[in-house]
Amino acid sequence: MDNDEADMNTALMVDGNAVAGQLQQIFGRDMTMATARCAGCASDAALGALMAFTRGPGIVLRCPACQAAIARIVETPSAIYLEARGAAFLRMTPPP
Amino acid sequence: MVQPVLEWQAGTVTAIRDETRRTKSFTLALPKWMVHRPGQHYDVRLTAPDGYQTQRSYSIASPPERVGELELTVERIPDGEVSPYLHDVLMQGDQLEVRGPIGGYFVWEVTLGGPLLLIAGGSGVVPLMAMLRHRAAQHAMVPTRLLYSSRTADDVIYRGELDAMAGSDRTFEAFYTFTRQPPAGWTGYRRRIDAAMLGEVIKPFDKRARVYVCGPTLLVEAVANALVQMELPTEQIRTERFGPTGA
Repeated sequence: MDNDEADMNTALMVDGNAVAGQLQQIFGRDMTMATARCAGCASDAALGALMAFTRGPGIVLRCPACQAAIARIVETPSAIYLEARGAAFLRMTPPP
Repeated sequence: MVQPVLEWQAGTVTAIRDETRRTKSFTLALPKWMVHRPGQHYDVRLTAPDGYQTQRSYSIASPPERVGELELTVERIPDGEVSPYLHDVLMQGDQLEVRGPIGGYFVWEVTLGGPLLLIAGGSGVVPLMAMLRHRAAQHAMVPTRLLYSSRTADDVIYRGELDAMAGSDRTFEAFYTFTRQPPAGWTGYRRRIDAAMLGEVIKPFDKRARVYVCGPTLLVEAVANALVQMELPTEQIRTERFGPTGA
């Protein structure tokens, strides 16, 4: 990535919190306080604190520590795809 | 806490208020209103006649104490897909499709306590205003400071209300900084938020401060990095970036 592209991507970045609605649609609960462990660097971060890139055809969530892609979400007219192989696990509190 | 299913509903626009040249507040009455947590947002969805849909997230400006309706303050982004419609087309009495409240990360309630440092760039003040209005509605004396960066005096959203709050509550102080054109006679800050400014504003709270930062990505990055350099525990820092535009 050259510098201009990196700057552009940084400027377009938001937080995982910005895709809380899409996550809640998939999981049926708020996921912004759930923890994701990065499969690449083993850092833990709240989903709400991941780096979110939302201006493409899909959503990409990246690790704030190493920037590896943790998850991608794509919506088509008939389906929602969630690919999360960049996460070692998601940890959330059990429902009461 | 069992969460109800997140579903779209049609809110009715009951009021539209000009805040600044580029921001308006929209009051929506919701058939399925739910109490929110200050800092949460709603998704707004527009559907074109051909079925094309697009959505954006907008922070709630009103406190949860305002039952039955919610207020969204929206900045008009000239090349945006949603905000120009809201600003230029939507009228009182119209319906708007929304879902929420959403998000559990960037929220503050009186029960979380303080001291509280709120840092805003531009329309990033909106979710922080929900926190301040909630704090005022609860008559909470949580020591609170707001550091708010705007381009010019005309770009400050909620100025009158913020100054009234600060005037009537000795535990709340508002600090403004102007990055382009400070008002005539201004003796306060007149630059982008930097480490020195943060150090001055955070001083009485020191490392106990709970900090919420909302604004353009580059402002949030700069502030978050400076706070980490000050060795503020990262779990006390919550950020919300809205990209270059908010849209």
